[in-house]
Amino acid sequence: MEAFWTGLDAIAQPSVLVAILIGSIGGLAIGAVPGIGPAIAIAILLPATVFLDDLVSLVLLLGVYGSSMYGGAIPAILINTPGTPVNALTTYDGHAMTRRGEAARALSLAYSASFVGGCFSICLALIALMIFGPYLRNLGALFGQRDIFMAAALGAVLLIVAHRRTMGIATLLFALGFLIAMVGRQSMRQIDRFTFGIDYLYAGFNLIVVIVGVFAISQALFLLTGKDDDPPEARLKGTLFRGFAELWRHKIVAGISACYGTIMGIIPGVGEFVAQFFSYSTARALSKEPARFGHGSPEGLVASETANNAVPAAAMIPLLALGVPGEALTAMMMVVFFDAGIKPGPDIFENNPDFLFSLFIALLIINVIVVIALLFSTRWIAKIIYIPNRLLGCFILLLSFVGVFSIRNSFTDCMFAVGFGYLGYILRRLDWPLVPIVLGLVLGSIMIEKLSAGSSQIKTVFDLVNRPVSGTLFAVICLVLIATLVSALRRRNTLQP
Amino acid sequence: MTTGPLKVRRFKSETPPDRKFKVDDLLAFRRGRGDLAFSIFIALVALFFFVSFFFASGWDGRKLPDEMGTYLLRQFGIIEGEGRLERLGRILKQGWVAPAICMAILVPAAVLNLRKSRITHNWRRRFKQPVEMSYEASKWLSALEFVGWFIAYTLAVPIFGYLVSTLVFGTALPWRMGYRGWRWFSICLAASFAIVLLFRTGLQIKTPVNIWLYSLLPDGARGFMLTWF
Repeated sequence: MEAFWTGLDAIAQPSVLVAILIGSIGGLAIGAVPGIGPAIAIAILLPATVFLDDLVSLVLLLGVYGSSMYGGAIPAILINTPGTPVNALTTYDGHAMTRRGEAARALSLAYSASFVGGCFSICLALIALMIFGPYLRNLGALFGQRDIFMAAALGAVLLIVAHRRTMGIATLLFALGFLIAMVGRQSMRQIDRFTFGIDYLYAGFNLIVVIVGVFAISQALFLLTGKDDDPPEARLKGTLFRGFAELWRHKIVAGISACYGTIMGIIPGVGEFVAQFFSYSTARALSKEPARFGHGSPEGLVASETANNAVPAAAMIPLLALGVPGEALTAMMMVVFFDAGIKPGPDIFENNPDFLFSLFIALLIINVIVVIALLFSTRWIAKIIYIPNRLLGCFILLLSFVGVFSIRNSFTDCMFAVGFGYLGYILRRLDWPLVPIVLGLVLGSIMIEKLSAGSSQIKTVFDLVNRPVSGTLFAVICLVLIATLVSALRRRNTLQP
Repeated sequence: MTTGPLKVRRFKSETPPDRKFKVDDLLAFRRGRGDLAFSIFIALVALFFFVSFFFASGWDGRKLPDEMGTYLLRQFGIIEGEGRLERLGRILKQGWVAPAICMAILVPAAVLNLRKSRITHNWRRRFKQPVEMSYEASKWLSALEFVGWFIAYTLAVPIFGYLVSTLVFGTALPWRMGYRGWRWFSICLAASFAIVLLFRTGLQIKTPVNIWLYSLLPDGARGFMLTWF
């Protein structure tokens, strides 16, 4: 309990509270503008936060992360364009409700569902920390180098498997990210890997350079080469305050979806899309009116929004407990943790338990601030969804320079970032996923480091899996691979490739 | 008891008929035009790194047991051998191992992806779907213009300073994109200035220090500009 109060005390600092407020409202606005997602905003802000206090920078980015999906529901419901990619499912039911004149009802239902989803996973994490926190302090002793290696390998496998239709491409891009992680001089043995005599490459690629390139610059290029949308003007009539009352009628759907979101968030590499997929399918199966799904069903809207917002808090758990990020945004968060001198991993329960409480309390405050802000200011926030796409592209390009140059004052960084940006642009055009590159880079680095550090303990191959944790994780990897193989063989006899 | 026509409240969809919905659409993916060309490019990149692996990864300085086959069989306990078994960890910590693992994933994945892309390409051609990549290639090439803008901006900052470069590019690029007239110019100028104020003046992020334009200013003004803009 002492850690809880220390964590709360850290959050109560005025600078931290201001950062929470700015991050929450900023994330809301960023989510509401189609074309900028939290990944782009965090990628650009990441280098700038180095100059802020540790907790201030962390809660600022957490604010963007935790609130953007709320904002993303606004254009999804009003103009049929998801603000962030994960709000795509919201358009099906949310916009259909707008078309029949129920925009305010859809928005208020989306806000309350998001709030319940977010708070559910945060409260679950906080309760788990309070109850199990003292026991988890010994978790560090259970996890050795080989266990973390195996956890990262499991994260990689789950990430690839989660890309159901693009598994081959996800594997390829993950390997490409892994290759990028490899470039540079190996410090222990002075071996140059894929440096080809280029001085710049000896230090390896900076993670932020790759992130800004792949996410921000590529999106700027995508917007600049596209066309401006001409969304119809949305009319918002009625009150936004009835959402919670209506949500109570769909409490079972909300509860199940929140559970799906939390579970899928905890599993590395899975994330919002799969959570939505399961919660929406379950809600449809349980519904008395399944035909309405996709045509303006409140239950469908509740299922997608609750599952979405349960993911961010849950996704922090594998990052904090194992040091293994499960998605691009948590991979970016990891950079901030390192800057703050906090090493995510099993030792965090022993070394920084108060920090964990600070983090989840901050997320809870963010959810409260956001829902209050939305209830009173949706009509104003709804106006920013009309910012032209290509104008956004111009400014994302300008902001990307700040993001890259400020890391280490290097113009070469900027050149490589724009190279990665161009690669990311082509991937976006082809609809190939971007996340495996970044996670290949992050998880690849972790795997290399842990394998090398644990090598003195490995006499035979069985030493990789003969520990309780590593053995269990290896068994899970095998099960996932077998299940995927069986599923792929069943789908084989389709006409269209 | 009266019997009359049965009134059934029929569900009427508000979604237009061209938007047939399936939840699977969330995870839908179709290889389009340009996929084959890019898959070939990625396969060539994989091939390049595979060839490079043998001279740019520490492979030439590898230390392996004399009889690798026997060593691996002993590792898995398939055969019994005489003498002490050399630790696998001694091999795993060598610099070439991680690139070897990477190549073991990258090269087969690139080959399989190329095969899949070719099959899809042939399928599209067989069913008279568009396969020419001229439109896609034109999009790829058109993005190069904006890559050029970014590089020009990056090169302009050490000459004219962060403030001037951002104001110029923040108004010129939108003008190029068609946002013209005083209204757009004022909005873009204000937005560019806000970016400088937020990041340079407020957050004090690093920008180039040897700026040609600032070197022309008197000492006091130069110091002020370097500190805040």
